[in-house]
Amino acid sequence: MKRWLGVALGIVTSIGGFLEIGSITTAAQAGAEYRYQLTWTIVLGTACIGLLIEMAGRFAAVSKHTIADAMRERFGIHFFMVPLLLIFFISLLVLAAEIGGVAVAIEFLTGVHFPVWAIPVALLAWGLLWYGTFSMIENGISALGLITIVFVIVGVRLGPDWHALAARLLPSLPDKEPAHYWFIAVSILGASVSPYLFYFYSSGAIEEKWDETHIAPNRMVAAVGMGFGGFLSVAVLVVAALVFAPRGIKVEEYKQLPLLLSIPWGRAGFLLFAGSLFITCIGATAEITLALAYEIAQGFGWNWGEDLEPSDDARFSLTYTVILLASSLLVLTGIDPLKMTTLSMALTSASLPVAILPFLVLMNDRKYLGEHTNGWLGNLAIVVITVLASVVAIVAIPLEIMGGS
Amino acid sequence: MRVRLVRDLLDNQLIDAADQNAGKVDGIVLELCDGEPARVRYVEVGPVTLARRLNRRFGNWVARLDKRLGEGRGEPIRIPISRISLEEPSLRVDLVAEKTPIMALEQWLRRAIVSRIPWS
Repeated sequence: MKRWLGVALGIVTSIGGFLEIGSITTAAQAGAEYRYQLTWTIVLGTACIGLLIEMAGRFAAVSKHTIADAMRERFGIHFFMVPLLLIFFISLLVLAAEIGGVAVAIEFLTGVHFPVWAIPVALLAWGLLWYGTFSMIENGISALGLITIVFVIVGVRLGPDWHALAARLLPSLPDKEPAHYWFIAVSILGASVSPYLFYFYSSGAIEEKWDETHIAPNRMVAAVGMGFGGFLSVAVLVVAALVFAPRGIKVEEYKQLPLLLSIPWGRAGFLLFAGSLFITCIGATAEITLALAYEIAQGFGWNWGEDLEPSDDARFSLTYTVILLASSLLVLTGIDPLKMTTLSMALTSASLPVAILPFLVLMNDRKYLGEHTNGWLGNLAIVVITVLASVVAIVAIPLEIMGGS
Repeated sequence: MRVRLVRDLLDNQLIDAADQNAGKVDGIVLELCDGEPARVRYVEVGPVTLARRLNRRFGNWVARLDKRLGEGRGEPIRIPISRISLEEPSLRVDLVAEKTPIMALEQWLRRAIVSRIPWS
């Protein structure tokens, strides 16, 4: 019974934790400029992260290893350093985007320019990590993230064309600006398939001492939780298609984002948007920071654990402190959070094969998984999606930068 | 039991007698005797061995820095292989890491920084 309560909680936290600055921004840009046409990328990204999350949970439950720990063990220090450094630096950018998201939400509420809030936001996140527990962060903040269901309510009330939406669940070629179309497509994939997510998830499974009895509940959490999470992203896209596209609004600066809800719902919509952005981004800030510190601590064999006192894992705790400080300094420079978000999401997409393919090798290693190794279909799906996303990103990023947007 | 050194020993997690993470096996020391097969004598733990595996010059720089942490640091930390046993999913080492130089950095950070932060 307790396990199934855990499933319900896991689903709630997956839904509440799905949206963050990356998925909100990229879905809003897609809806504003291509209406429903890019819906398929959200579906694809959600399927991919659902598969990866299921694998990460199964890996931890069966092998009792976290991914970073096993990656160092299986491939050795030289190879391990490559994904470690790549994921680390790209995730620092993503983290800066999330801290920027919280800071921007506070700017919406107070009128004070966002860079001022970078250090206070980092301090708030640090306080949650230093004094809080894993379940408080995972369950508490993510449950508050259910506020993002407001996008579904607004989307349904605006009355989308369901047939047109359903027709866009399958990939299609763009009618205009193909380079920009593919840039947004890979940014959406990068926002959905964030490597930090499955590093975080496998560490959480070890912190919560999962065993093989967790395989079935884990599968359900991954499928239902991520599925509904992706549904929220589609809702943001639909709202943008119905609010922005008819008015010719392109999302070119972060101050336009609250219009998504303030045009249909006025002041209440504005406040709901700011609240959603604040909660989802502070949750993602805590998760990314922890994921990066986990990766380092597990790779080097230190004591680690969000449920330990900082004095029992000083290296781990001070690592996340430095990570938060470094990312908040990036926000302090005043770099536009919107540009930082889309670029970091596209870079994430470009780096996916390096981050994911070694993990896939682990998922097929009987030393770790015994009879629970991957099936060929899951392997094939992940290889095709990550390699394609990476190739398209490597082509689209320079084109987008040269295009000046 | 057949143990493959690179797959089953090198870069594997060490857990100490107090169930704490005691680092990874960063290096393996073999003894070579004429006419006999090579024997594993020690495993090495710590940033000096690890950094030297990545790049010797970088390793020497790390060693100079690491020396400041006190006695037993600034050089590879060696554990006799006889004190290590395989205990899935990790390697068990029959010593308490807190009482060895392995935890010198952790102890210094705890003393110098963490203990000064209120309510820590």
